[in-house]
This record gives sequence, structure tokens and C-alpha cells, in this order.
Amino acid sequence: MGKNGAGKTTLIRTLNGLIRPSSGDVYINSENINSKSIAELSRFVGLIFQNPFHQLFANTVEEEIKFSLKNLFLNKDELQTKTNEILSNFNLDKYRDRSPLNLSGGESKKLAIASIICRDPEILVFDEPTLGQDAQEIESFIKLISSEKEKGKTILIITHNVEFAYEYIPRTILMGNGEIIADGPTQNVLNNDFLTEKSSLILPQTQQLSLALQEIGLQGIRKNISKNDIIRYLINLLKNKTISAQEE
Amino acid sequence: MSLEFLNAFRFMKKKSFLHNLDPRAKLVLALTYTINALLFNQIIPLLIIFLSLIPLVMIGRILKQWIKSIRGLSFLALFIIILNTLFISLSFAVAMILRIYIMVSAFSIFFLTVDPNDLALSLISMKIPYEFAFSFSLAFRFVPTIATEAQNIIDAQQSRGYEMQKKGFVNQIKNLFPLLIPLIICSIRRAFNVAEALESRAFGSTKERSYYYTIKYTLKDWIFTFCLLMFLILWIFIRIQFSLMPDWFLWRLPI
Repeated sequence: MGKNGAGKTTLIRTLNGLIRPSSGDVYINSENINSKSIAELSRFVGLIFQNPFHQLFANTVEEEIKFSLKNLFLNKDELQTKTNEILSNFNLDKYRDRSPLNLSGGESKKLAIASIICRDPEILVFDEPTLGQDAQEIESFIKLISSEKEKGKTILIITHNVEFAYEYIPRTILMGNGEIIADGPTQNVLNNDFLTEKSSLILPQTQQLSLALQEIGLQGIRKNISKNDIIRYLINLLKNKTISAQEE
Repeated sequence: MSLEFLNAFRFMKKKSFLHNLDPRAKLVLALTYTINALLFNQIIPLLIIFLSLIPLVMIGRILKQWIKSIRGLSFLALFIIILNTLFISLSFAVAMILRIYIMVSAFSIFFLTVDPNDLALSLISMKIPYEFAFSFSLAFRFVPTIATEAQNIIDAQQSRGYEMQKKGFVNQIKNLFPLLIPLIICSIRRAFNVAEALESRAFGSTKERSYYYTIKYTLKDWIFTFCLLMFLILWIFIRIQFSLMPDWFLWRLPI
């Protein structure tokens, strides 16, 4: 995470060779990638662009998926079955013959992700996946990344969505001015108001709430409390209040 | 990637004698050199005309971009050499390459030193309706946009495993084909977007437009135009009186 212009997108574009570093080296699986072509790297690193329309170019949704698979040198039958499988997995069956450029924001993002995931790279890199997505779409995205994580994939996400990161991402790296300014467990990084202010983020709502509660003198709120715990805490608090009110 | 040569036609604000000239004077420049190039098909006169462009490029401080545009033509130059040598002769081929280099350089000087906004203004001053003048300057502005668009598609294709960095001339050409159709579609979509943006800002709602600033043909523009015309007349004279020219002027390659 980090401010706009902090260098996040530039950094991830170096990961699959779209940008070559002017100094220094990039290592993927402890291998220097300087001499590898983008196409070679795309087997290991799947990069999903911020703007899906920059990623989609084929005439139909089906061809879009096929383009990714063709470069894996499958035979014709395999290609067709794999394409069908991917399309139905991502619920894109009904758009099969539509132009990718006419899809809605959510659908086109889904297609962009599908076109990368079907190549099965070890490392998935998302640039702002939650941008412009509705709640349901974000939820299905979360399901997707957790299933990919179970398969043992490495997942790297750029986001400005504090709540999303706080809930679902275990480790956060903050960037500013092309440098890493913080790296650690998400809860430690995002609950630190000095760091969040520096990278123009806001504290997660749970942290804001617990700070506000502490300010009015309530005790017993743990540091880095989770969303569910703070809800339970508040419910208990209100229950006790109503009980004592009834007693009076 | 090979699309860098499109930058050769991209205007950049700079301060130089050429940049400060009136766009119409620079149009005269481009036309003069085009006519001169078409007058001859011998190597020596074309070479002289070509070399006379270099000081102009230096004055305009656009050497780097100009060299890029020349390099971008190498593919075309190869074709010209092969076809002309096969059917006519090598010296004719070299002359033709010089001819095309002169024309491209003249127009790249024009495009590199004329602000697109001034271009529209100068067209209007030549009594061309605003709609046409504007769409012309817009088309001009579109070149770098298409280049970015193309780069996006290349990036997208490569990051899905399409091998584009294979070495070799033939491979580089082959790689451009899967790019074409998406690029055309994207450009058409972009054109629709621009049309919508224009209309939502009330383009063409009034017949008479006023302008924030106007362009003027100053003394230095007149002097420049005069020199160019003298240059043109000189070469036309040489062309007519070709028999008076010394022998080395007609020099040809042995093949």
C-alpha cells in the first residue's frame, strides 16, 4: 500500500519484466530475471493490470482466454476443454461471444483475472483489484484469492482499500517515494497512525472505534482487536447497560 | 519496442529559432523540400538537398528525434533497395531512399516544431473551416495516443506468454500482426470517446469562434520564406539547365 505515485505499480511491473530496473536486480524464486523475456516470466508471474481494458484485446471473451492458453502449447481439444472449464468457473459462459470491451466493469475485471489465472502462474500480482467493484464482486474476489492461496500460490495485491487489507491480508508493505517505509503484519502496520498518515491512508474502522472508546474511558479493549471481537464487546457492553437500566 | 519511432512525430515545447517561426513558414519549408526532392533522381543533388536539412535540424534542436525518425524508416529503405535494385539499378535505389528521407525529414521538422494548437490556427487563417482544422490537429495529437495504446496491448500480450522479444528482423515484423486488429478496435473506441467528450463540452454550438491568441506572420517569417523560395528557384533552375552542370553532378554508382 502507499500513496498514489509511491511507485507501487512501477515495482510490480518490474516483477514480470515490463519495466527493467535502471539499477539493481530482480530475483524471482532466487533467480535473476534480468535476462529473461516477459513471455518466459509470465509462466511464473501473473500480472493483472489495474485497468482491465488495458489487458483485454481479443474479439470475443472466448478468444481472450484462448490467447492465454495457446501460448502454453496445448493441443486443440485440451485448449477447448480448458477454455470451457475456465469460462464456467468464472461464470463467464453467457458472455462467450461478446466483445470483452463491452463487458461491465466487474465482468471485465473478472475476465482479466481469468485470462491470467488460466495460465496457472505461481505468483499472482493484482493491481487495485477492488477498485470500482461492488460488495458482491469483492466477496467473490476474496473467495478466489483464498482458494488460490490454498493451492500454495504467492499473492501480491496493491490496494488503497484499508478495510479489505485489514480483514484479509496477513502482511502489509507500505511504500512512499519509491521506497519501502514499513513492512510487517497488517495489524501492526495499519493500526499505526503515524504510518497511515504518512501514506495518506485512514486507520481501519475497528482501530478508530477502539481509540474512540478508550478516549471516553472504557477499559479492556485489546490492542489489534478484530472486527468480530469489537462487535461482541459492544454488544456485551450494551446488554449490561440495558440490564442495569432495567434493574433501576 | 519498435514503436519508438512514432515519437519522432511528437511535438515538444522548446525554445529555438525554428520553434518560434510561424507554422505557415514551416509549411513552406516542408513543401519546398518535398518539391526539391521530387525534381531530381540523381544521387548528388539529392544528397546536397538532404545535407542542407541538417543545419536546420540543429537550429531546431531536434537532432535526437530526427535521427529516430530516420531510423524508423530503415525497414522501408530496405524494401526500396531490394525492389529498385532488382528492377532498375542500385544508384536509382539510393536516390529514391534519399528522396524519401528528405520528404520525411522535412515533414518531421514541421511536426516536431509546430504546436498542434498553432497548427489549427494557421489552417483557419488559410480559410479552412474550424471543424476540419480542429480534426486535423486532433489527428496529429492522436499519434502518441495510439503509440501508448499499442504499448498497452504489447504489454498485455507479453504478460500472457506471447513471445515478442525474439531476436531477428523477420520475427520483429511478424510480432506486429497480432497487434493490428486490437489496435484498430481500440483506436476506434477511443475516437468515439473523444467525440462524446467534445459534444459534452458543446463543441460546434456557435458558428463564430473567438480565439485566445492569434498567430502573426512577422518579419523573420517573411525573410525565412523568402530564403526558402530562393532556394526552391535555384534548384528549379538547376533542373531546367541540367546540361550546364559539371560532370560530377551526374555521377552514378557503377551498378
